[in-house]
Amino acid sequence: MNTFIIAKRVLSQLKGDKRFLILSIIAPLIIIYFLKLLFDTFPEFIDVTSYTIPISAFIVHFLSFILCAILLVQERTRGTLERMMIGGFSKMSIIGGYTLGYFGLATLQTITVLFETIWLFELDYDTKTIVLLFIVTWLLAIVSVMLGIFISTFAKHEGHVFPFIPLIILPSVFLTGLIVEPSGLPKWAEIIGNSLPLHYAVNIIHEIIKPEYDVSTTYADFGFLIAYIFGLLFLASLTLKETE
Amino acid sequence: MNAVEIKNLSKNYKKLRALNNVTLDVPHGNIYGLIGPNGAGKTTLIKALVGALKPSSGNSKVLGLDPLKDKWKLRKQIGYMPQSPALYDDLSARDNILFFGSAQKIPDLKKKTDEIISFAELTSRANDKVGTFSGGMKKRVSLCCALIHEPKIIFLDEPTAAVDPHLKLQSWLLFRKLAEKGVTIFVSTHLMDEALLCDKVTILRNGEILAVDTPKKILERGKTKLKIISGEEKKEFLIDSTPKSLAEELQKFGFDKKVSSVELRSDNIEEIILSIVRDKEESEKK
Repeated sequence: MNTFIIAKRVLSQLKGDKRFLILSIIAPLIIIYFLKLLFDTFPEFIDVTSYTIPISAFIVHFLSFILCAILLVQERTRGTLERMMIGGFSKMSIIGGYTLGYFGLATLQTITVLFETIWLFELDYDTKTIVLLFIVTWLLAIVSVMLGIFISTFAKHEGHVFPFIPLIILPSVFLTGLIVEPSGLPKWAEIIGNSLPLHYAVNIIHEIIKPEYDVSTTYADFGFLIAYIFGLLFLASLTLKETE
Repeated sequence: MNAVEIKNLSKNYKKLRALNNVTLDVPHGNIYGLIGPNGAGKTTLIKALVGALKPSSGNSKVLGLDPLKDKWKLRKQIGYMPQSPALYDDLSARDNILFFGSAQKIPDLKKKTDEIISFAELTSRANDKVGTFSGGMKKRVSLCCALIHEPKIIFLDEPTAAVDPHLKLQSWLLFRKLAEKGVTIFVSTHLMDEALLCDKVTILRNGEILAVDTPKKILERGKTKLKIISGEEKKEFLIDSTPKSLAEELQKFGFDKKVSSVELRSDNIEEIILSIVRDKEESEKK
């Protein structure tokens, strides 16, 4: 019950915070438009279509992570997190409430980003492919929310979140298959890339957009993404401290 | 059984000893003041009592319960007002109170929220976003959040810091009203004049208790400078700050020996300014 109360509060707070809403919904759309401008300068023999959806998924991944982490850290700096706990909310209801509250935002982000990408880049995908692309991007957004909740437990103020960007998010750009195949990287770099959730999302997206896509080839990657969600949820519940 | 019982409580942050062997009993229904300068350990002690902090050694009981082991039972019975307002700026005063109150499954929460808003004189701004409120009003909303579930004991961490004198007076009248209803108030402050408004005070410095007494007894520990001019003669004395000492000293100048106690109390500057403001408000009403 308390989980729903917190989720409702997170949603009403998001609704009331215009700057935050603009940043989380409008900003990714503008970035994707910039991506279109960049790709338009590429020579025609380079097929950019295999990069568009993975990069869009990365943008959702990055923004969901950073915005969720910062909002939760703000709860800590403002003292509302401590007040919630002393006031009788359990830490599981807080994590659950945040997750549930962000489900809505992650869904909205995923839908808008995906549709803009498909429309701007004139991607000719059938309904089944679009639905599958939505599912994988949405799962990645939920992983990002979980990652944000988990990382926020290590931060005492907003500034503490930023060092995690070069630690977790930026390696995802280079090592997960977003730009180059990880198999071409040194073994140690490939291992790091394989440990990042974006790797599995990119794998699935590359498979889905193939005309001969067979869902069974991506079961393991879907499994990894879902395992990340529950794994990070478990870790966050361990690291979110009720007492100093 | 006392409302709060603390035995040899210590808290260390690496090399810093924030609390050092604190032992303290707080009776029920009292306004109990924790007085000390910034960094004395007041917030650390309050946090240990509300279960937000694990002490390094020693133990404490609040309403007979251990703040860490019995946290769920205890949290239903205590109210906590932190030093910062700890509110959601994007929510209205009413929604903040409703949100924090909802954790406790209070029957008739909406009705009780209206009642407490009226009690704190916030009715006219109840639906405004807290972000638009002054510091003092935020403190009042924060107090409402701490009181909504009708706790038996309330911990207030510097509730009147950065609050204007008028609101400060109102807040203390509110605390007194609550204490009369049987609520134990455990309040910390670095403002020494507020000590006088408590039933009993503990003076804390560098995590150690320096004194525990009633404000009156603490005042009596001080000295009073007495200046007497008789004709051309001018005399200055330093006497104990007790009504008895003043009477004895005055008797040397022919004061009636039957008078055993003389007590003087002048308004402080804050009280004088408040009375000027109040007089002005009353004359404007007329």
